[in-house]
Amino acid sequence: MSRILTPARIGFLALIQLYAEGAVPNDAIVPVINFVTSHVFDCDLTTPATTSTYPATATTSTPPAAGTWAKAESAISVILSLREFERVLGPFAAADRLPGRRLWDRFLEKLWAIDTLHALQEFFDRLPSYLAKTREELRRHRAEHGDAPPRYPHPGIQLSRASPFGGFLRNANLEFLRLRFDTAADLWKAFVKYRQPTADYWRRRNPHYGRLSFDSVLVAAEPQWGGDNTDALAVLAYGHMLYDTDYDDASPVSTHDIEALLEFQVEKLHRFGNRVPSELGEQFNALLKQSHAIPSLFHYVSFSDTWRAGDYFTTFDNLHRYFDYTMQYQNKPFHQYALMNMAIVQSDFGCHREAIAMMLATVSTAREARDTTCLNFALNWLFHFGRAHPKLVRELERSSGLSSEKEILAFLRAKARETGMWVLWSSALLGEARLGLSSGESISAALENMVRSSQIIVERNMKPMMGTQLSVATTLWDRLGLAYMSTLACEVFLRCHAKNSIFDDELKATGHLAGLLAAQGKYEQAFATLEQIDKNSLRLAKASECWHLFRGIVKLRRDLHHNNLDAADHLLSQLLQAEPDTLEPEGVFLIDSMHIEALMRRGDFDAAFAKIDRLLAELREDDGDIALRVRLLIHKAHLFDCVGRPEKGFTLSVRAASLAWRARLLPQLWHAIGALANILNALAEFAAAAQLLVAVLPRCLESDDVFVAATLYSLLADAWTGQAGEVDAKTQKQKRTECMTKAHEALDSALAYFATVEDVEKQCEMLAKQATLMRAMGDHVRSEEYAAKYLALKKESMARNE
Amino acid sequence: MGLSAKDSVHLKEALQIAVVKCSERCLYQSAKWAAELLDALPEQPDEKLGASTGPGNYVHPAFYPNPDPEEAALEARELNRYLLAKSFFDCKEFDRCAAVFLPESLLAGLLSAKASDITSPRGKGKAISTSASDQQSLPEISQKSLFLALYAKIISGEKRKDEDSEMIMGPHDLGTVTNKQLLVVSRFLDRWFAERKTDDGEQPTSYGFLEYLYGMVLVKEKNDSVALDYLMQSVHLFPWNWGCWLEITNLISRIEQLNKIAPHMPQNIMSFIFHANTAVNLYQQGQDLAASLSDLLDIFPTSSFLLTCKALLNYHSKDLLTAEQDFSNLLALHPHRLDSLDHYSNILYVLNLRPKLAFLAHLCSSIDKFRPESCVVVGNYYSLLSLHEKAVQYFRRALTLDRTCLSAWTLMGHEYVELKNTHAAIESYRRAVDVNRRDYRAWYGLGQTYEVLEMHAYALWYYKKAAGLRPWDGKMWQAVGSCLQKMGRDRDGIKALKRALLADSYYESTASSFGSGGPIDRTAQMDPEVLLQIANMYDRLDEEDEAKAYMELCVAQEDGGAAGADTAGLGDSVAIHHDSPGGPASDGEGGEKEGGHEGTGVTVATSKARMWLAKFAMRAEDYATANRLATELCQDGVEVEEAKALIREARAMMENLDGLG
Repeated sequence: MSRILTPARIGFLALIQLYAEGAVPNDAIVPVINFVTSHVFDCDLTTPATTSTYPATATTSTPPAAGTWAKAESAISVILSLREFERVLGPFAAADRLPGRRLWDRFLEKLWAIDTLHALQEFFDRLPSYLAKTREELRRHRAEHGDAPPRYPHPGIQLSRASPFGGFLRNANLEFLRLRFDTAADLWKAFVKYRQPTADYWRRRNPHYGRLSFDSVLVAAEPQWGGDNTDALAVLAYGHMLYDTDYDDASPVSTHDIEALLEFQVEKLHRFGNRVPSELGEQFNALLKQSHAIPSLFHYVSFSDTWRAGDYFTTFDNLHRYFDYTMQYQNKPFHQYALMNMAIVQSDFGCHREAIAMMLATVSTAREARDTTCLNFALNWLFHFGRAHPKLVRELERSSGLSSEKEILAFLRAKARETGMWVLWSSALLGEARLGLSSGESISAALENMVRSSQIIVERNMKPMMGTQLSVATTLWDRLGLAYMSTLACEVFLRCHAKNSIFDDELKATGHLAGLLAAQGKYEQAFATLEQIDKNSLRLAKASECWHLFRGIVKLRRDLHHNNLDAADHLLSQLLQAEPDTLEPEGVFLIDSMHIEALMRRGDFDAAFAKIDRLLAELREDDGDIALRVRLLIHKAHLFDCVGRPEKGFTLSVRAASLAWRARLLPQLWHAIGALANILNALAEFAAAAQLLVAVLPRCLESDDVFVAATLYSLLADAWTGQAGEVDAKTQKQKRTECMTKAHEALDSALAYFATVEDVEKQCEMLAKQATLMRAMGDHVRSEEYAAKYLALKKESMARNE
Repeated sequence: MGLSAKDSVHLKEALQIAVVKCSERCLYQSAKWAAELLDALPEQPDEKLGASTGPGNYVHPAFYPNPDPEEAALEARELNRYLLAKSFFDCKEFDRCAAVFLPESLLAGLLSAKASDITSPRGKGKAISTSASDQQSLPEISQKSLFLALYAKIISGEKRKDEDSEMIMGPHDLGTVTNKQLLVVSRFLDRWFAERKTDDGEQPTSYGFLEYLYGMVLVKEKNDSVALDYLMQSVHLFPWNWGCWLEITNLISRIEQLNKIAPHMPQNIMSFIFHANTAVNLYQQGQDLAASLSDLLDIFPTSSFLLTCKALLNYHSKDLLTAEQDFSNLLALHPHRLDSLDHYSNILYVLNLRPKLAFLAHLCSSIDKFRPESCVVVGNYYSLLSLHEKAVQYFRRALTLDRTCLSAWTLMGHEYVELKNTHAAIESYRRAVDVNRRDYRAWYGLGQTYEVLEMHAYALWYYKKAAGLRPWDGKMWQAVGSCLQKMGRDRDGIKALKRALLADSYYESTASSFGSGGPIDRTAQMDPEVLLQIANMYDRLDEEDEAKAYMELCVAQEDGGAAGADTAGLGDSVAIHHDSPGGPASDGEGGEKEGGHEGTGVTVATSKARMWLAKFAMRAEDYATANRLATELCQDGVEVEEAKALIREARAMMENLDGLG
């Protein structure tokens, strides 16, 4: 296998010659040059306009990921056959001579003119004649011939020696010169095989080309040797490829190509966290099988691939294989990176203890080797890991004396700035922001950190970091109850930055968006959003698990609202088994809270209470996210309400409200206020409740959490109704009616909102309340109407749940 | 020369026996050669009947037990050990193979005993009688096993020698590494033969193989005459061992020697083949040789070996196109055979058939890229492309694979000359000559290199060697002549150059009489360069008439046909001087042949000759001729200025004369 030269490259050289000879017509120049450069120099001149296909039109034919692999696909197809050349050159007419001749014909003529191994040699020997003369040559020329302009053997363009084409020509010439004879012969054989598919076409055009015309020596000697002997010699020299087209022995691929493809794959794997599409992978493996030397990078690719496929044992096997072949990389010990990869894989497969041990070993090895890059990365990872698995790290902290999170972050930040590791710096800042948010500290401090990180990202053009940045932003907006801002951040990310960031971020953003839509009751839209994810990327085991969880959560939410408890139980039994680190803590909490809700709907209050208590204890122990604690407190208060002892939840509600207020967790605050109002209602403090609710409701509507809004409305209705009950029916009839009307309006709104989220039980409850209210107001007809609606709804839901 | 059916059956049987016997002794190459020859014998129609008569109880003579009862008994007794040793040999565990029959202690004892023997030179008989008690007697084993063991010893020594050798042409590669096992084997065989002789004064029966082995050892020890004796004994005892014949071929360095030993050879077909092969290797040519080769080819029509010989014969008689066709046919008949394709590549190189040479190189490297022949072919191809470094690389590879690869050494020398590395070139040539003293190209190359270094006296010696090896090659004599000329020995130079002219015409005649029918356009006329050289030397010797004659002859070469008469006249003057038995080389024939050919056209040499003639005519006051010649020069566009000056002068003189007249 040659290092650079392949039959495809011979094709490109021939094409450049055609170009230099002026055979390429004007309209074809740009496509031809672009074709050559994109394959030879790996730079596409006509970069497609930066229009992301996401998600403006759901019917777009190419999902974004298809674009990322298209380059590799076309590279492989060029390596394997001439068809790509035909596709590019076929449409154009040749610039000279006979009419009706296409550029493709000229190109084939060039290729078929190479009819012996010696002709190939001459082909390469002739390459320098396409180059412009050097100054030295010109000087010599002047010395010999006077001022006559130097004559070139070819009319047309003279390629400058320093131009990309000139460099390519010179390089090819040199490479061929350096080939050993048998490699050159192999190249020739591969070239014959590569060209052979065009033989039929070429023979139609040139009838004198016979069976053996790929080698003129054979043609010339056939009369003397006789057919059988010639065939025998041809088979001897060219192997079986002549008669058996499927027979793969010669590999047309060069080390250079393989390495380029591998690097491309690794880059994609790293940048997008994708897997190689299976078709492409198969083609690539077929190429590799033919090549003699397998670069060790290939093991890395297969390691990444199996890792993403979730094949634990093979992953470790491949990882060890890769690092066994790559103990030394650029003359530096590489051991720490092996350990680091191992740790990451371990943690990814859920072996957290092993992962920590491994990462600590990485840290010490990196210290020994004075590899700051590795060390910083490892520390950063440890920090994030500690955030996700506080229990495991706590033991460690005690033993290793690592200081508190904040200090670690500050250290990382300082280090990153010192060493110019921008990614680390930015992620440390974002980490600090997130930490601040979760412990309920100043919003402005968090914002400051975000802005600083954003500045670094923009300054250093670190597109891949955009995912993290925007995910922190969405969290912030969510906490501030600005749902539309949060949606906006998600959309911005998906439209503009998704193609530059890893797939994980894209999936998370999509999931978040789906969650927001589900909260608004737009279940179908949420599903549609999730469906838009690239199918190939879902071949990642982790990603597909995560994607299924998102779908499950949306579905569960709907099932709960539909009161379809059997289906919900079924889903829950699956969701609860999900690995805790597949999702962010928020997602996990979501599942838990829905579990609690399901339990409560089933009436299993003991279990619900136990679960809430357990979760609360855990959170307190882990010093977890304050938002989650608030939500748990609210849940607990709600539980008391459900068992008919709302007053017991008073302290809980107040605590929740004050916590949420302090941490500016606005959606939780509104929810807590709702709980408080409920208690007030229960204590018959209707006016106070109504006052609270009226103040809170408009803000709550902003947060797009429709269910909470509906609940608040129903509470408001209760409060109004209570107030109506308080006034004397006789004396203040008008006021009573007023209250009753307000209650009716509130009930209407609540009903409408509950209808949006399709919550059957609450809808029924509202309808029942409406009916009662109407009866109390003396409007029996409408009361009957509501009652009829109630029954219809019940029936419908029964039918649906069947 | 057809064979009768009976002869054919006998021949076939003999060859079959030869293959079996050689294989039994692990003489692979000889076995291969015999088997190839056997395969080349055409099928006899009635033969199959004979074989099918009794498939059950028919035993081929090749598998008969040894006719000598004593040997047969020995062989039967040690069959197990023999089989063991043979398997070891086949697995290339040579030392182990030898140790099966000849334990190391025995051989060591042999060495030390012999050493003490040498210190006390008291007569052979005494030494043996006394040593019979204290030194172990030779083991009682069959000759077959003994041969196998000793042969394994030698092969193991060769292998070690190759391993010990330094990189080709490296600083420590002095060619002094020797086969350390030769000594012990030679002692052993010496004693073995001596003991057998002392038994009853007469040589008891033996099968020729041990003689062959001893001959081989002696050759390696450079004891040529004794070696030849043993080898001759061997071929008398068992003529079907081709390896033995080859050893004899290598020992013969001159045709006279061949003719001398020819009567002592056994008279059979092998001897015939040997004679033809040796003659070809000695660059002989002529009808007799061609006839004997075609006789052999009648018997073995598809024998690759004989076809190669025929092609080489054509090559050596400079009939390159026919040789090329022969090789091409050979390639088609035996596509997997790499042997002697290096010669084919030389022919393609000389004919400048680049695509074909590229194809051949491709073919060879597809078959086996680690054969010396393949490497030489590839090297030749690169040399043709003027990629001399790469060519050297491939020749070196060939030599690493086989240090005795003669053509690689020579060709590498050529490449070093191209690379202007004269020291390396000389060393390469020297190695080639050391491998085979009959390689005229290496001698010639040495001469050329020294000539480049302007050491003419030195170069002359090598040129003479080359000319001695190929007395009928004009190029050699021309080189000798030029060398002599540069040394100022004009008389001798003229002699040598005339001989070169003669040699060319001799080739002319032999090539055409060989009846190959191929178009011959080489050496058709005398080389104007040579003629000019001769003329110049005569000029320096102040023999103007001779010089003028040769100058005119030189000019006449421009248009061969018109000068026919002239040439015939001057041909005599060549004939006068030729001082060797010209034999079939008749000048008249050469002259006629020339007449039939196109001339060379204007060359530098002829123009110079014409200029000289014009000036000569001026001196001789033959202004008309001078004017004509100078005008011709002007027409040819060579040295126009000088020619015009001559014309002016001549015209002026003519006018003067006219005026005077």
